[in-house]
Amino acid sequence: MKPFTRALGSIAVIALAGLTGSAQAADDTIKIGLEIPLSPPGDPAAGQLIRRGADLAVEYVNTVMKGVNGGKKIELVVQDSQGKTDVGVAAYRKLATEDKVIGVTGFFHSSVNIAVNEVAKEIGVPTLATQTSAADITAKRYEPAFRTHAIDPIRVETFLEFTKKMGYKRVSLVAETTDYGIGISEEMEKQNKETKAGLEIQKITFDHAATDLTAQLLQVKAFKPDLVINIGVGAPVDLIIDQATTVGLLPTTPMIVSYDAPERPQFWKLHEKNGVGIYFIAYYSPKQKLSDIGEWMAKAYKEKYGETAIYSSLNGFGDVMILAQAADMAKSTDPKAIIKALEAGTFKTWADAPVTFPDAPGVYYHNWSPPILVLHYTKPNEDWQTAEIVMEHVGGKH
Amino acid sequence: MFSTELLVQTLIAGVMIGVLYALMALGITFIYSIVKMINWAMGEFYMIGSFAQYLLVVFLLGRDLWWIAVPLSALSVFLIGAALEPILIKPMFRQALERKDEYATVVTIALLLLLRNLATGIAGPNQFTPGSNLGVVMLGPLPVTGARFAAFLCTLAALALFYVLLKRTWWGLALRAAAQSRVGAQTSGVDILRLDQIAFGVGVGLAGLAGALLAPEFQVYPTNGVVTTVKGFEIIVIGGLGSIPGALIAGVMLGVVESLGAAFIASPYQNVYGFLLVLAVLLIKPTGLFGERVRQA
Repeated sequence: MKPFTRALGSIAVIALAGLTGSAQAADDTIKIGLEIPLSPPGDPAAGQLIRRGADLAVEYVNTVMKGVNGGKKIELVVQDSQGKTDVGVAAYRKLATEDKVIGVTGFFHSSVNIAVNEVAKEIGVPTLATQTSAADITAKRYEPAFRTHAIDPIRVETFLEFTKKMGYKRVSLVAETTDYGIGISEEMEKQNKETKAGLEIQKITFDHAATDLTAQLLQVKAFKPDLVINIGVGAPVDLIIDQATTVGLLPTTPMIVSYDAPERPQFWKLHEKNGVGIYFIAYYSPKQKLSDIGEWMAKAYKEKYGETAIYSSLNGFGDVMILAQAADMAKSTDPKAIIKALEAGTFKTWADAPVTFPDAPGVYYHNWSPPILVLHYTKPNEDWQTAEIVMEHVGGKH
Repeated sequence: MFSTELLVQTLIAGVMIGVLYALMALGITFIYSIVKMINWAMGEFYMIGSFAQYLLVVFLLGRDLWWIAVPLSALSVFLIGAALEPILIKPMFRQALERKDEYATVVTIALLLLLRNLATGIAGPNQFTPGSNLGVVMLGPLPVTGARFAAFLCTLAALALFYVLLKRTWWGLALRAAAQSRVGAQTSGVDILRLDQIAFGVGVGLAGLAGALLAPEFQVYPTNGVVTTVKGFEIIVIGGLGSIPGALIAGVMLGVVESLGAAFIASPYQNVYGFLLVLAVLLIKPTGLFGERVRQA
C-alpha cells in the first residue's frame, strides 16, 4: 500500500505543478478578443480579412516588438458573431468574463457592435470597432466604446459631396434593413435637409437575407434616378449590382457602393461584365503613405497571402496593435486601466497618422476616422490600387 | 408608385421565382412522402449542387456547356444522398427506434451543420459564380437574365419529367405505393429500404438541381441554401406536405405574393408576406391547400 500511496502522491504533486505551470504560462500572455463574422448571415469574407490583419499584428508584437508590458506575448481569442446581435453579445460575454481579454476588437456589423456595447457598458471590457460605422456605436458616449473607422455622418458627407461634384439631383438609396443600412439612409435624409443639398431621395429597403431584389429594383428603375447608392453588405452588394444590370439600371445609371467591397479579389470574378463604371467608397489607397508598422504589415501580408492588403486587414492589424500598445502604456491588463490608456494615449496604426480617441461631442467621441475616398473602376479587371480616385473627403467637424 | 407595367413585371418575376423555389419544395415533400421524415439539410444539398455546377463549368466544361453540367451536378448530389442514406437514415427503420421523428430531426440538423461548416472551411469566405453567356431575355416588359429564364424552363421540364416518371414507370408505381403505405408496399414485395435510398437520393438530387440551375443567379457560397430551404418549407406548408402539384402551385403563390408585396406595399417586409400567406393557409386549411389528413398506426 505504501509504495502505491507514495506513487499516487507523487503523481498528484506533479499534476499540481503542471497546473500551476500552466497558470503561470497563461499569466505571461495577454489575450485580445477578436469578434468577427465568420459565418452567415454575417459577412465571412470581411471577418476573414480582418482576422488576417489581426494575426499579423500578433506576429509583429510577439516577434518584432518582443512582447509588451515587460515581454509578455499577446494572443488572439477569436469568436464568430455570425453577424447576429444575440450571438455577438454571447461572444463578447465569453471573451470578457471567461477568456479575460483586455479588449475586444474586429467588429464589422454595426448591429452587433451596438448590442455588444450595451453589455460592455456594464462589464467594462473595452470594445474597439474595426469596421462599423453606425453613429450609435460612439454617439452614446459609453466609456468602453472606441472606434477606428469611418462613421456614418462622414460617409454621408462624402456621398453628398460626390453628388454635388457630379451634378446629380435624384438619388435612390437601396439599403438593407440593418443598423448600417437604415443608419446611412436616415443620415442621408437628415444631411440633405440640413445642408439644403436639394436632392430628391428615394429610399428602398430590403431584408439582408433576401435573394431576389427584382421587385425593389424595378421600383428604382421607375424612379429614374441619377445615382443609385448600394447600401448592402456582403452578398447583397453583388446581388444589387447583378440584378440592377438585369432590369436595365446598370450600366446607364451610375452606382456607388457604400464600402470597399469592390476591392476584394472576388469582385471581378463575380462582375466581369458589369463591374466597369462602379464607384465605391474606400479608406485606403496605395498612393497614401503607410506608417513603419503599416509597411511591415503590407509586406508580410503580400508574402503570406499573395495579395495586396486591403483596408479590412490593415485596420484589423491596426486595432490589435492599438490594444497591445494600450496594454504596454497601462502596464496593466485591467480593463479600466486599458480604457484610461486608450483615452489618454497616442497610438501607431497602419496609416501614417497618429490615432487618438478624443472626448469629443456626439458621434466623434472615442472615434478616429481615416479619410474616405471615392474610387471608380473604368476598365474591366481593373486593380483597385490603380482605380481612378474621384475624390477624397476628410470629415469630422469637432 | 403603381403602374400597369410595374404590376405586370412584378407578376412575371414572382411566377418565375416561385417556380424555381418549387423545385426545392418538391425535394422536401418527395422525401417526406416516401421516407416519412423532414430533411432539414436540404439547403446544404442545394449548396452542393451549386458548387458542383460552379466547378464543372469553370474548370471542366466552360460556360457554353452549362446544360451538360446541370444534370451532372444533380446526379452527383443524388449519389451523395444515396450514399448517406444507409448510414444516417436507414437505422431509423432497421432498429426499433421509438422516436423516429426526433431521430430524423437530430440527424439531419447535424448533417446540415457538418456540410455547412465543411463547405465554409473548404471554400472560404468568398462568393463564386459559374457565370453565364446567355443574354438578357425580354418577357413582356420584364428583362430577365438568360440564366434565370433557362433555369425556369429547365425547372418546368424537370417537374414534367418527374411527374411522368412517377406516373408511368415501375419505380414510380413503387414510390407511390410506398407513399400510400410502407407496410403495404413491403408486403407486395417492394424492397422498401432500397426505395428509401432512392427516394432520399432523388429528393436531395432535386435540391441539387435547383442549386445548379440557380448558381449563376444567386451565386455560390456555403450558406446559399439557407433562404431557399426556408422558402421550400413555406411552400410545402402552403401546398400540403406530400403533394407534388401543391408544391408547384404554392411556389407560384408564394413568389407572386412576396413580389407584389415588396413592390407595392413595403419592400423591407418581403419575406413577411410569405409567412402571412402561410398563416392564412394554416388558418383556413391546416393540412395545406392540397394536403390530406393522414392516420399513422
